[in-house]
Amino acid sequence: MYSAQITRANPTCIILLIDQSGSMGDPFSGDSARKKADFVAEVVNHTLHDLVIRCTKTEEVRSYYHVSVIGYGRTVGSCFSGELGGRPIVPIAQVADYPLQVKSSYKRVSDGAGGWVEIPVRYPVWIHPAADGKTPMCEALRRVQEILRGWLLEHPRGFPPTVLHLTDGESSDGDPNEIGRQIMSLGTDDGAVLLFNCHISTRRSAKIEYPTEEMSLPDGFARTLFEISSTLPTNFLAAAAQLGVNAVEGSRGFVFNGDPSSIVQFYEIGTSLTGMTPYRWMDDRTETA
Amino acid sequence: MSSAKQSTTWDLQLRQLLMPKLGQEASECEDVIAFDAQTSRFAVADGATEAFDARNWAERLAQHWAQRKSTLTVEEFREWVATEGRELHDSWNSLTLTWYSEEKARSGSFAALIGVELDLKSDSPSWQAIALGDACLLHWRNGTLLKSLPLSSSESFNSTPVLVASDSSLHETSMQSVVIDSGNCQNGDVLFLMSDAAASWCLQRFENADLDVNEFLGTRDDEELRQFFDAERLAGRIRNDDLAIVRIEIKRSNR
Repeated sequence: MYSAQITRANPTCIILLIDQSGSMGDPFSGDSARKKADFVAEVVNHTLHDLVIRCTKTEEVRSYYHVSVIGYGRTVGSCFSGELGGRPIVPIAQVADYPLQVKSSYKRVSDGAGGWVEIPVRYPVWIHPAADGKTPMCEALRRVQEILRGWLLEHPRGFPPTVLHLTDGESSDGDPNEIGRQIMSLGTDDGAVLLFNCHISTRRSAKIEYPTEEMSLPDGFARTLFEISSTLPTNFLAAAAQLGVNAVEGSRGFVFNGDPSSIVQFYEIGTSLTGMTPYRWMDDRTETA
Repeated sequence: MSSAKQSTTWDLQLRQLLMPKLGQEASECEDVIAFDAQTSRFAVADGATEAFDARNWAERLAQHWAQRKSTLTVEEFREWVATEGRELHDSWNSLTLTWYSEEKARSGSFAALIGVELDLKSDSPSWQAIALGDACLLHWRNGTLLKSLPLSSSESFNSTPVLVASDSSLHETSMQSVVIDSGNCQNGDVLFLMSDAAASWCLQRFENADLDVNEFLGTRDDEELRQFFDAERLAGRIRNDDLAIVRIEIKRSNR
């Protein structure tokens, strides 16, 4: 299980499900100038960038991944716009070709001889921050289920889809437990769909990352998200270990009260798939010229 | 009256097999085999699938290593790789790249390399090898594996080997993983150069003692081997990766 080779003929699917409710407009981690929605949009854009780079073969992008970015708040639907607007799921080669814009910047890197040089870098943008409305988590999960059902009909073999869900609050349209379980019951010949959840918070409570049991969780909402979080397969544990994240056999793909670094690691681990080295973009921050 | 001792001469019997991943074209294969029969230098390079221009980097490393006269110290090797890397990066300057190719190129290219040089001039032939990455040399004698380098067991292979980087700023740490070794040969000895999937498979079969790998690879024709490895891939007994195998048998000459 979770061992199928990911190829163009046998791609996998990655769905990024993002809470875009009004509370995502609140400051994050004590930084009053930075909203949760800003930070999440930045991480999602970096994640898409990294998925594209992984699939780049010199001058071609090979569609090993089919990607969906679904937001929920005032509305529920694809976060892609422009050329990709209205498309629920897009092969990564097309994601590569249609960012909304590509920002240019400079980065300082070692010159290998004790000095530093500045090199140009590109930062494509596919999604903008959004924070408005309630938290229709159940409707959003139903949308994910619908996308997965369609995709799995055409791709019944291969590495199972991964859903990375990020939220900052409780569902406003009911208990997501049942629909979450239904999503986790879908799959391919190679295993069940992986649903991972990352809850972020502005509260100064202790974060809980990749727990193995419900006992340690503080409330019913945390337990609900735990129950609809898949166990991390071995490949993902290897990626977590490379990031220095304490995840063990039996750990769920679940973070509660996460901070900014939790979000980054959640996406890095969640997209590591077949055990590939996580792309550490946090080590790769720019100094704008 | 003294008699001049007649020195032994040696012949090499060479076989090579190169297979792209199942379902891919030969042009997509990123494993490269190169040799120079005059100097008895052989190399296998395996371009990292995720790297930019990996096939060209592997080709450049293998071919130029086989053509050169000496790169058997770490310092020489490091200098040589830096030069090759600069030339590779220079070749990208004329390209008009998309944002993603530009980003990918920024990380440079990566490949595993195993190179071996045989000294056949004496009564007792020998080999010297240099390796960085997970392409391997296996020295076989009378059905037994005498040595395997840089990795010596099937469990040693992983998805993140230290590779030959085209970007010399990475060499400070990567060159610490270079392995240099040598050995003596006897009549009938066989040296294999293999990229990682083949080497891992070969070591596994040797560890399990369920196949005389040397005899098998030495006696089957190319078509049989291709069919065999495709079947092994489908059965999951060998990773569906590019395969490069060079078999060098050292024989006392009858001339």
